[in-house]
Amino acid sequence: MANRASSDRPATVALIGNPNTGKSSLFNALCGGQARVGNYPGVTVEHKTARMPLACSTFKSIELVDLPGTYSLSARSADEAVSVEVLCGEMPSVAKPDAVIVILDATNLERNLYLLSQVLELQLPTLVALNMWDRLGKEGMKLDAQKLSESLGVRVVCTSASKRFGIAEVQSALLEILEKANSTDSRGVLERSALASASFPKAFLESVDELEDWFGAQGCPLERFQIERLLIDDSQAHSYRVIPKRISSEVAQRIATTREHLATQGVSIPLFETRARYGWIKQRVVGVVERQVRERRVSTSDRIDRWLTHRWMGLLFFIALMFLIFQSITAFASWPMDGISFGTQWVGQRVEGMMAPGPLRSLLVDGIIAGVGAVLVFLPQIAILFFFIAVLEDCGYMSRAAFMMDKFMSALGMSGKSFLPLMSSFACAIPGIMATRTIENRRDRMVTLLIAPLMSCSARWPVYVLMVSAFVPKQAVLGGWVSVQGAVLFAMMCIGALVAIPVAWLLKRFVFPGAPSTFIMELSSYKWPSFRVVAMRVWERVLSFIARAGSLIFVTSVLVWAAAYFPGDHSLLDQATARLEAEQADPNADEAKTQAWTSQINQLKSDLISKSYLGMAGQWIEPIVRPLGWDGKIGVAVLASFPAREVIVATLGTIYSLGGGQDETSQGLAENLRSATWPDGRPVYNLATACSIMVFFALCAQCVSTLVTIRRETNSWRWPIFSFVYMTTLAYLGAWIVYNLMRFWLDP
Amino acid sequence: MALYQSPQAVPVEFLAPETEGVVVDLCGEEKNLHRLEELGIRCGCKIRMLCPGETCLLAIEGKKMCLRLGSTAEILVQPLTP
Ligand SMILES: Nc1nc2c(ncn2[C@@H]2O[C@H](COP(=O)(O)OP(=O)(O)OP(=O)(O)O)[C@@H](O)[C@H]2O)c(=O)[nH]1
Ligand SMILES: [Mg+2]
Repeated sequence: MANRASSDRPATVALIGNPNTGKSSLFNALCGGQARVGNYPGVTVEHKTARMPLACSTFKSIELVDLPGTYSLSARSADEAVSVEVLCGEMPSVAKPDAVIVILDATNLERNLYLLSQVLELQLPTLVALNMWDRLGKEGMKLDAQKLSESLGVRVVCTSASKRFGIAEVQSALLEILEKANSTDSRGVLERSALASASFPKAFLESVDELEDWFGAQGCPLERFQIERLLIDDSQAHSYRVIPKRISSEVAQRIATTREHLATQGVSIPLFETRARYGWIKQRVVGVVERQVRERRVSTSDRIDRWLTHRWMGLLFFIALMFLIFQSITAFASWPMDGISFGTQWVGQRVEGMMAPGPLRSLLVDGIIAGVGAVLVFLPQIAILFFFIAVLEDCGYMSRAAFMMDKFMSALGMSGKSFLPLMSSFACAIPGIMATRTIENRRDRMVTLLIAPLMSCSARWPVYVLMVSAFVPKQAVLGGWVSVQGAVLFAMMCIGALVAIPVAWLLKRFVFPGAPSTFIMELSSYKWPSFRVVAMRVWERVLSFIARAGSLIFVTSVLVWAAAYFPGDHSLLDQATARLEAEQADPNADEAKTQAWTSQINQLKSDLISKSYLGMAGQWIEPIVRPLGWDGKIGVAVLASFPAREVIVATLGTIYSLGGGQDETSQGLAENLRSATWPDGRPVYNLATACSIMVFFALCAQCVSTLVTIRRETNSWRWPIFSFVYMTTLAYLGAWIVYNLMRFWLDP
Repeated sequence: MALYQSPQAVPVEFLAPETEGVVVDLCGEEKNLHRLEELGIRCGCKIRMLCPGETCLLAIEGKKMCLRLGSTAEILVQPLTP
């Protein structure tokens, strides 16, 4: 009864199942968690823990672990390996599970039972959740859960996680199982003879016995299940990672001789396993599932698929859909954007009204409000973008798009599997890079991971929208249906993806050469996007955008402000500003006088900023960025935005707020940019400069978090450095080409 | 096209759209076959071709799956005459 003593620690309960069966939905329902849910396989790629608000007499509390989906415990991809590691207690940050909840898709029982048959071998207390219960009827099926529970010898609960049905039953069954595990000697797990492995060939079981003894004698005791996996999986598989280095060559030798021996006994590794397990499954489901014999007719889903997966209609649909999304973002976002912009200006004016000119007021108004405010303006864009992304992800379209793109990706030597991480990088490269874990082929995974940051993530939106709204004419073409601004935005979104094509080809050809990979992927069923899922995704993103504005962007704004404010003497400027404000407060002020003060202030401001640290850095950097059409200020702003792309908007906000050049009617950053001039009076910005900045940001690697994620996923600094160098080179070249082409086009 | 009407087993790619077949054999490297079987593609299961091509769209026991195996594995099916 050693277990009894452990009751003051939390119980760890793992949620496992095939991909897209509703694990994360159940996780959220059970503990109010915020795990991401989406209707395609491979949404969850790392483990996520949350505490379940449940009182349990044997454990202090319950820690629930949501895991990536997997079809079997012989892990082939990095996300599957996470699930296996957690289940076997090999993950350092998670305690070995005290119980497992296996989620089965009730509409695809046989296939899902395969994983269960393996999980049962781990000899952990197990609860089965038969999810998607609501879909059974629609698919013309009936399932006898009681009978299934009896034939499996495991507690079975019927659930519809997305509809929050059966959640209380899962909770009470889980408590029961945990209590039973602590109170009985059998811990409530199945006898060995009831497991699928009982029907493995005798010779195989004997070899496992022998190896079990051998590993014990080596001081490295392994569980039976682990030894079975070593024998069955090939040597690249995850199961080999548990072997200590000191005995690894000996283990390889032993496994090889054991396999040879088994081959002489007529045991065909690995296929005997699947056959034995399906044999076991067949016995368990007798009389459990009943399918109505319906006349086969073409379902709505088939009819939709006929269009959406059509060779070129499907592609056309995809492009049109993306175009429509970008058009509607520009259309819907404009008035809330104006609202926020107005709000930040109003706050700035209030602060100015309350404080006398000086460094503190400048820090607040020019540094923080102008910097952070300039970024916050783009909140509506981000919210609308994520609304569309969430809808696409939850309706089941994504896996169709991956299917269609496979034809194209296979020409590059990759597969449709790479499409989903790339698509997800349009939201943000970090989850995109993480999602490459689902790609089994290591070379494909590396190529995908290295091109993912080229996809136009949402952090580029502020840069694009700022430049587009300031320098692209607000016109509509094609009978008023297509806005030019929306079209330019769409083009910017496409640039990264288009450049990624030759980059992928080159990488695949010269850096990661190898045979073309295969592609197998399950398509999810179509469904109406769930309001909860969509709302949660948008909300989560909005919060993280605000959090970023409040942390990273706040800090860089302050730093940039300091660099642009010091070391100059601002006393003259402060005096002049105070005079101007007094003048403006006077209702019968002299127009000419106000004008004179304003121009003097602008002169002072631009003198001060050019003598500041930032100004000095600008002079140093100007020769490098001059070929791109930028002045030193843009150069410094770009340099300062190394931590994250959207920071450029904040730094420009601060620089132009400090640097003068505005008149009293100045309306935010876009207006400030339009009125910025070179010393000789020519405007700094025109369409060519704007395009060169946008192209630079489309291709550059200005995002520390992305580089850190690449480092973490590849376990080496080599790849983030490689990404940074190749992307920055591409960005510089791209910006230079576009600037010169545009200049020629605008002024031949 | 004549092939799929013959009573002999054919590679799954040869199934015409909207026709069905029963898997009778899987050939290729064993580790690939192991994966296919884990995914539920195994002898005796029913496959309906939805969208043929190098990457094809199939319904395997009613569940849609897309597949491109290239030369790594072959799924042989016995077409079912409607
Ligand atoms: N009809 C129905 N849909 C469900 C149910 N449970 C989950 N879903 C939907 O199934 C899809 C997949 O849900 P997830 O919770 O993301 O599945 P998952 O198992 O975590 O998926 P991966 O992390 O990709 O392995 C989502 O669109 C859910 O809304 C259910 O009981 N009934
Ligand atoms: Mg999940």
